[in-house]
Amino acid sequence: MRIKETNRRPAKSPWSKRFRAAAFVSVAMTAVVLSGCSSSSTPTPSSTSVASAPGTADSGTISWWASPITSSGADPRTVLIADFEKAYPNIKVNLISAPTDTDTNRATLTTQISGGAGPDVYMGDVIWPAQFADHQLATPLSQYLPASYFDTFAPGLVAGATYKDQVYGAPFFEDQGFLYYRKDLLAENNMKVPTTWEELMADSKAIQAKGQAQYGYVFQGASYEGATCNYMEFLTDAGGTVLNSGATSSTVNSTEALKALTFEQQLVTSGVSPQAESTYQELQAMNEFSAGNSVFMRNWDYGYSTSQAPGSAVIGKVGVAPMPTFEGQKTPGYSNIGGWNLYVNPHSKNVAADLTFIKWMTGSDAQKTLATQFSEIPTNQAVRQSPDVVKSNAVLAVVPQTKLIARPAQTPFYPQVSTAIYTNVSAVLSGSMTPAAALKAAETAINTALSGGGL
Amino acid sequence: MATDRTTAPTDKNPHRVLPPSAKRKHDVNRKRQARLGWYFSTPALLVVAGVTIFPIVFSVVMSFSNVQVLGSGFQLSGATLNNFGIVFGSAKWRYALAFTVIYTVVTVTIEVVLGTLIALVLERLRGVRGWMMAMLLIPWSLITVISAQLWNYIYDPTYGAADAIFSALGLGHPVILGSNASAIIAMMVADIWKTTPFVAIIVLAGLVMLPGDVYEAAEMDGSNGWQTFWRITLPLLRPTIALAVLFRILQAFGLFDLPFVLTQGGPGYATTSLAVLGYQAMFTNLSFGPGAAVAVTTAALVVLGCIVFLRVFRAQVNQGEEN
Repeated sequence: MRIKETNRRPAKSPWSKRFRAAAFVSVAMTAVVLSGCSSSSTPTPSSTSVASAPGTADSGTISWWASPITSSGADPRTVLIADFEKAYPNIKVNLISAPTDTDTNRATLTTQISGGAGPDVYMGDVIWPAQFADHQLATPLSQYLPASYFDTFAPGLVAGATYKDQVYGAPFFEDQGFLYYRKDLLAENNMKVPTTWEELMADSKAIQAKGQAQYGYVFQGASYEGATCNYMEFLTDAGGTVLNSGATSSTVNSTEALKALTFEQQLVTSGVSPQAESTYQELQAMNEFSAGNSVFMRNWDYGYSTSQAPGSAVIGKVGVAPMPTFEGQKTPGYSNIGGWNLYVNPHSKNVAADLTFIKWMTGSDAQKTLATQFSEIPTNQAVRQSPDVVKSNAVLAVVPQTKLIARPAQTPFYPQVSTAIYTNVSAVLSGSMTPAAALKAAETAINTALSGGGL
Repeated sequence: MATDRTTAPTDKNPHRVLPPSAKRKHDVNRKRQARLGWYFSTPALLVVAGVTIFPIVFSVVMSFSNVQVLGSGFQLSGATLNNFGIVFGSAKWRYALAFTVIYTVVTVTIEVVLGTLIALVLERLRGVRGWMMAMLLIPWSLITVISAQLWNYIYDPTYGAADAIFSALGLGHPVILGSNASAIIAMMVADIWKTTPFVAIIVLAGLVMLPGDVYEAAEMDGSNGWQTFWRITLPLLRPTIALAVLFRILQAFGLFDLPFVLTQGGPGYATTSLAVLGYQAMFTNLSFGPGAAVAVTTAALVVLGCIVFLRVFRAQVNQGEEN
């Protein structure tokens, strides 16, 4: 210590003046840097209920945040943008490619928008409206667009995008569960396409016993959102629900829910579905099916085209049908709704142009392109039912026969509700929990989440 | 700017004014330059403080407030212990804590033992040591997300290498990531594979630095290899191993990428670590208050763990010296 003191320089420093100057400069520079970060914040959106959006409807530049829609071939996003810019030459659309992982996508958008920035229009999951509305991350579109616009969509879709009587997202393209089956194996065994789960199980066992396929049915049972989608189908077929009508408490610990989850467990324990179901997402199910290992598969609308892609062992052998249901219920079974909506960022400065873009994207030209060129299910009811769309591929032909069920996303706590479902379903499929215990745990977790006390 | 440049190297420049022979003045000049360096780096240092200290303080503040994430920004209100109440009351958090602690203890122990053994071998391999080290560094240098994806292929129940090996050995087709215990073990294996080389290299650096005369003395006294290792090498290596263990505890406690890629926390929530839980709370559920509370408690626990470890370790070292 003493050494240090003797070495110390006299207090009088010729540099103090310069130091002050330098300190001032550095503070000023830091201030510039920091203000650069916050200068993008904009005032909160006006809450007028009059249909007059800020900006101009037919000119300006807007940015569109969308994750890749297809994995190969032409990019539907750029094709649609080019067509739109042809129709509206004075509106320029900049595409921002969003992360493909839905959770990463949401996290990125949330931080951008709450930071006062972000894209003008973004493509977001169908399960986001309540959460995004509750956090004021999306502009209520029904503020600006008339009811007649929302009547152009297929039934059920707008309801799914509504929170507290306001519509937050314009349904862009839909997706849902389908039953894919091996035409060749069913024909060989003189079986028709099963319309009940019991039938599917019996047919599977018969075909497996003959050694014609390793598995009967592959689906999604890993600990992720897809397991919630699959369980929703079994649950609704059995007559159960997750939440009460006001979304204030859980109804998932019921005899119907137990029937559904016990059946899902039996699929695995009986060997009809792989032991590894608790690790299966869409890709794993698709791989088994395309390799010719399974008679049936539950997957989204791309299941058909993927199973017919080069390298597949089942080219020309695949059929598609609506989902089955439980015996004694009205056929067909329920298909869970997936897909994407278009939302407007509350910070957008040219909402009028955003709306022009959204209206065009959900209009007949864009929807027809999405359906016929890219095999996506159109949300526009007229396009969905038009003969050339129905004719264009096997999956779109089945769509009008299906029955839809949405996930219980009418609560802003939906992510926690879904986590409660998929962790417990996956635990049952992995064999570490009984269905009864899983439903009890799910109910407790859902009620905690709905009270705002969940983690 | 252009005019500044042309006028700058004139007699205003202190280098030219000062006579180069004056040593004292030269010293002063160096000090001036050092201070000037500080002045110039202050803005950068402030930015660094802004991106490290500010977020840490902010997350502590968030953990004690009601946080609302809105389109217009973050709104914090009130001082509350609510978030910690939610965290401590959650069965999921308690499970994640137990999982993370067990995971850390098991992986760090195995890594230190294996790493030390590898380092002892490497120290003797004088000729090929460089090559061996380069090979060892491959797993360590891979980004975890990528190595996790590689392990995902290995563990795949349909076309994975592990499945092929198990069935070739007549062990059937265990679903590695599909049941709680095997998923946890599989994750530990991936972690040990990746980070053992890190421990080995730190321990090797310590080994190389050990004084040779101690070993000569031991040899003179007739100590065998086993005695030399336990009585000399290991006690002398203690500070190095302690360093490696500290680094590893800090990293293992923040376990995130492996479960994120391999299992997303499943099956059920068997592999949900504290970091995964905090991430889900913040970025999936948008509950930033409880999420921040998870982060803060995790940080507090890991600091506490390190302090306890250092205490115990120091006591051991002292004891060794007294003996």
